[in-house]
Amino acid sequence: MSDGRLRQVRALAQRELDAVVRTRTYLVLVTLFGLAVASVPALGGAGGYLPLVLNLMTPVEVLVPVLAFAFGYQAIRADAERGELDVIRTYPVRRATYVLGVFLGRATAVLAAVLVPLALAATFVPLASQPAPSFLASAATVDDPIYYVRFVSITGVYAVVALGIAVAVSTVARTRREGLALAVSTLLVVVVGLDLAVVGGLTTGVVGPDGLGATLALSPASAFRGLVLAFAATPVAGASAPAPAALPSVVGLLGWLIGTLALATVTVWRT
Amino acid sequence: MTDTEEPVLTVDDVRHAFGDLTVLEDVSFSADRGSVVSLVGPNGSGKSTLLRIVAGLIEQTGGEVTVAASADRPVGYLPQTPAFRPQFSLAETLSFYGDLAGVDVDVDDRLRRVGLQNVPDRRVDALSGGMTRLLGIAQATVGDPPLLVLDEPSSGLDPVMVEHVSAVVDDLAGEGTTVLLATHNIDAVEQMADTVLVLDDGTIVAAESPTALRERTGADTLTGALADVIERDETASVSVGQRGGAE
Repeated sequence: MSDGRLRQVRALAQRELDAVVRTRTYLVLVTLFGLAVASVPALGGAGGYLPLVLNLMTPVEVLVPVLAFAFGYQAIRADAERGELDVIRTYPVRRATYVLGVFLGRATAVLAAVLVPLALAATFVPLASQPAPSFLASAATVDDPIYYVRFVSITGVYAVVALGIAVAVSTVARTRREGLALAVSTLLVVVVGLDLAVVGGLTTGVVGPDGLGATLALSPASAFRGLVLAFAATPVAGASAPAPAALPSVVGLLGWLIGTLALATVTVWRT
Repeated sequence: MTDTEEPVLTVDDVRHAFGDLTVLEDVSFSADRGSVVSLVGPNGSGKSTLLRIVAGLIEQTGGEVTVAASADRPVGYLPQTPAFRPQFSLAETLSFYGDLAGVDVDVDDRLRRVGLQNVPDRRVDALSGGMTRLLGIAQATVGDPPLLVLDEPSSGLDPVMVEHVSAVVDDLAGEGTTVLLATHNIDAVEQMADTVLVLDDGTIVAAESPTALRERTGADTLTGALADVIERDETASVSVGQRGGAE
């Protein structure tokens, strides 16, 4: 990437980050997410890193896409609606540069919003004087902070993928109302719809037991679950519900990220 | 300018339609370096569409638009309703656009030009509509594009600021920038324009200097002259001056 392009990406990303930091609505959302994450170890007990991973997995699977969509679904739509996108187009900015800059700026904000509360939640583990071990914790023979570090890292990837989908939504929608409707429906598809479709495929025989793992990996939420169970909850992975294997999960998430950013680049404006 | 110098802007036989609705038909004109070309006409006559085509925001259905410039940013653009990210100050906004253009913007100078030098740190959402338009003009000049396309630059401004905008446009033209603007402010046209293009129902019905237009129609004022050519066009359905020029 040339110096000029790099400067454009940096400027666009900084603008997005600053806009998020200066908007009260986003700060409220971040606070609510932080409280939700903190409530899991605070109310449910933090009997160890592995139990914390297992207790946080489902809330995170739902809340992270919600947060990422809130941060991203209007990112480009707002510029277009305001007419500022037309102005930006008169500068020597490529579509890919613009989308990348917006995405990186918002991704920085989303990652901070997601990872900081998760990191803080981990402090409950050593602070808890009398851990309340869950049945899952008792099933685990080894508890190690590395599981939690992996969980946080995988969650970061999941958040970035969800943001990519949200940014693509923000380029496709033509009005604010259409953007909101599209964001909500896409969010439902991402969080539960694809999983339900796979279950439907399994019951009707469209998806066979052999292909279940790979098919589940097509769902970002399932892929996230698969990676968590493979790397961050290894000792209890066999005791959980069916989940995709690690490699299909990685491919699935990467596919979503690249695919949605490519879609955003194609649709952000016509050349 | 020398005789051999190409026009900065050449619009050749441009047509445009939104579906079945034709909004521009056989529009041709050119604009030389440092000239101010003012596009006037009734609402819905196709002015903004033509400006957006020249700015490269819409691809015309037919014909050709050529901007003879080697600049990284060949066209600066002020939309009809300029708006910026509300969370940022004027200085931050211009710096951002400077980064997009790949230049270090002298923010104070840009703001001084449009009369906003006293409020560089004010947030954009605290600006009046007129001040936002002035910021839009300052933005349009970032990167020193050889052609400026301004859609209603004096709309919503008080008479003093209209004078100021006219002076800014004069200065820019004096420095060699070509300015194509659309406006309903006929006084501003009289002050700023070297050539007035009258657009009616998607076609150019007159293209000449404000003085020549007044003399040709015998009208006392430019407003009267414009009304006259538009009325003639509507009654005779004849388009004149299809090949205008700012030279």
